[in-house]
Amino acid sequence: MITAGIDLGTQSVKAVILKDGEVISRGKSFSGFDPTKAAEQAVDEALKKAKLSLSDVDHVTATGSGMDMAPHSNSTISMMGADAKAGVYLFPKARTIIDVGAEEARAVKCDDKGIMVDFVVNERCAAGAGAFIEAMARALEVTIEEMGPLSLKAERASSINATCVIFGESDVVTLIHRQETKPEIARAIFDAMADRVSSMVYRLGVNPDVVLVGGVAKDVGFVASLKRKLGVDVLIPEYPEYAGALGAALVAVNRVKKA
Amino acid sequence: MKNQSEEKKYMPEISQKEIDELRNAIKATSQKIIAENIERMKKTDKNRPEAMQYFDEIANFFGTREKEIRAAKENGKKVIGYMCLFAPTELILAADAIPVRVNSGWYDASKLGDRVVPVEVCPMVRSTIGAKMIGLSPYLELSDALISVLTCDGMTKLGEILSDYTPVWTMTLPRVKDTTQSLRLWSEEIKAVKGQIEALTGNKIKQKQLKSAIELTQKATKAFRRLQELRKGAPVIMGRDAMLVNQTYMWDDIKRWTEKTEALCDELEKRVRQKIWACPPDTPRVMVTGTPMIWPDNWKVPTLIEEANPQGVLVADELCSSERLLYDPVGVDEWSMKDMLNAIGERYLMASTCSCFTSEDGNEDRINWLLNKIKEWNIQGVIYYVVRGCMLYAMEYTRVKKVLDRMNVPVYYLDTEYTREDVGQMKTRVEAFLEMLTARIDI
Repeated sequence: MITAGIDLGTQSVKAVILKDGEVISRGKSFSGFDPTKAAEQAVDEALKKAKLSLSDVDHVTATGSGMDMAPHSNSTISMMGADAKAGVYLFPKARTIIDVGAEEARAVKCDDKGIMVDFVVNERCAAGAGAFIEAMARALEVTIEEMGPLSLKAERASSINATCVIFGESDVVTLIHRQETKPEIARAIFDAMADRVSSMVYRLGVNPDVVLVGGVAKDVGFVASLKRKLGVDVLIPEYPEYAGALGAALVAVNRVKKA
Repeated sequence: MKNQSEEKKYMPEISQKEIDELRNAIKATSQKIIAENIERMKKTDKNRPEAMQYFDEIANFFGTREKEIRAAKENGKKVIGYMCLFAPTELILAADAIPVRVNSGWYDASKLGDRVVPVEVCPMVRSTIGAKMIGLSPYLELSDALISVLTCDGMTKLGEILSDYTPVWTMTLPRVKDTTQSLRLWSEEIKAVKGQIEALTGNKIKQKQLKSAIELTQKATKAFRRLQELRKGAPVIMGRDAMLVNQTYMWDDIKRWTEKTEALCDELEKRVRQKIWACPPDTPRVMVTGTPMIWPDNWKVPTLIEEANPQGVLVADELCSSERLLYDPVGVDEWSMKDMLNAIGERYLMASTCSCFTSEDGNEDRINWLLNKIKEWNIQGVIYYVVRGCMLYAMEYTRVKKVLDRMNVPVYYLDTEYTREDVGQMKTRVEAFLEMLTARIDI
């Protein structure tokens, strides 16, 4: 049985192909102005890698903020539902899945079958999400990839009060004027983000194992801050940004079985 | 009545030309939205009860009911508006005046309110200010006086701001319900507002009139409860329709409203016998609680729930704009003036589950209401709805969530603004929540 999951995120589209419930390929493209076309590209890439064509796929499930625009999809699943499915598939003992993407952060509580039982979403503000790192990297004149390693070099913690990207930026300027070092400011930025994300997780309750997925999970600086704030270990899969697409593809498996 | 040119405490100077332009534009949008909401309700339940037609008509703010009240005013009747549910409408009716609730649900008007108060303030308050600024709400305009009950901070200042235009009578509400000093204060407030109603109308409220006003409202409560009871079983009416019926009580003629609601219930009972349902009987059953949702614009959340994929059905709520309106009757033992006034005071104070109260047990009355609804109405999930700036409901969420978590009832905190632009984001959340409710059965 071949299933596919497509995650139409705000910044990129991810596709995952499963064969009998095992990942055989992945594809990715930038969402841009035409998410449907971007999704087609991501699916084509994944199909090509797997040496399959669309007609081989038994069921396609879409997720992500643009899921209604997904091409070839047979069904949809919410982003939170997909996170829960993928989290428990990757780490069977996972009960809290944190997903930090470009524009949104969310936390999902789930049961042992990967069915979500509660969730919270970062309310209409990108300060707890990837876009915040991007804006702050600009203020520090470093690349987004440099931010994480830079922050790990900080010798002490300073702080900013990131309630929103715009105010965060002016807080960073204040630190620059106080002649704080770049590593310290970078760490302050990740701490502020982790503060927002962790307070969201605390509202759900920190139920181990805690899994972090989404593109921002690849940032070592954010991961270090989040571990400090939560006080528990945080598990990260090999391809964190594909978790949504993986969850959708897993849901597709169940939907084929049920049909 | 104050002279328009007199210096105002809060309201900005605004030219008649701008007022007219803004009113006409917002009124036109509003009429469109009223029609659209009704169309969407018809689409959701293709076999919508025939008796709903009456309520659709009353739901038109710029229609028959406005004309009726205007005509009654020309014949010398007084209109008394109120913002919070604590205003004792029986006293207004007993003085042969017309009670109308004037909270605004217009999104566009809230932007005008921003000229007077900061955006952090509750959008319902800002919208009511905006509506007054341009004379948008017929019922607010027709009000000869307003009863402002000092409940939350927003409402406390709203009355003060509106007094730039209309006489406002404040009622100080105790924040703790059941101490002797609270009850004493509240009964004094009831007596004081009775005096003000009498002075405005020129009608002394006598035993006979008050008794018949209480009986009239009790009959309305009976019809109201009958409708809510019908929502306990398989969904025979969509939540939006029931909510609209509940809400039209805020400005309709009470006697007629009662008759029409009884007629709707007759129709629904027939449908129950014939097993005709408004949506599939296994549709997830949802309750909403929190900030009031006011027709016509702020119909966003019930619309999202009932048009979602997977679909949900609203079978109960704990909103002062819907089920809390009339749920509790005034209970009178002896029909003496003293007893009736006491009973009115108690009904408005003690039965309220508003988040403005505090107690050691953490607003237990509200918790009990929620638990009773969850049990009796077989609720599968609760949407906790809050508009930004609604501090008291936002704060009480933690309390409610703790209790519902213990009972294993899913609850989701849905916050929003008076805006149409966030519907996409809200849809994602509402659908994830409904998906979660269905997933509890099967994914």
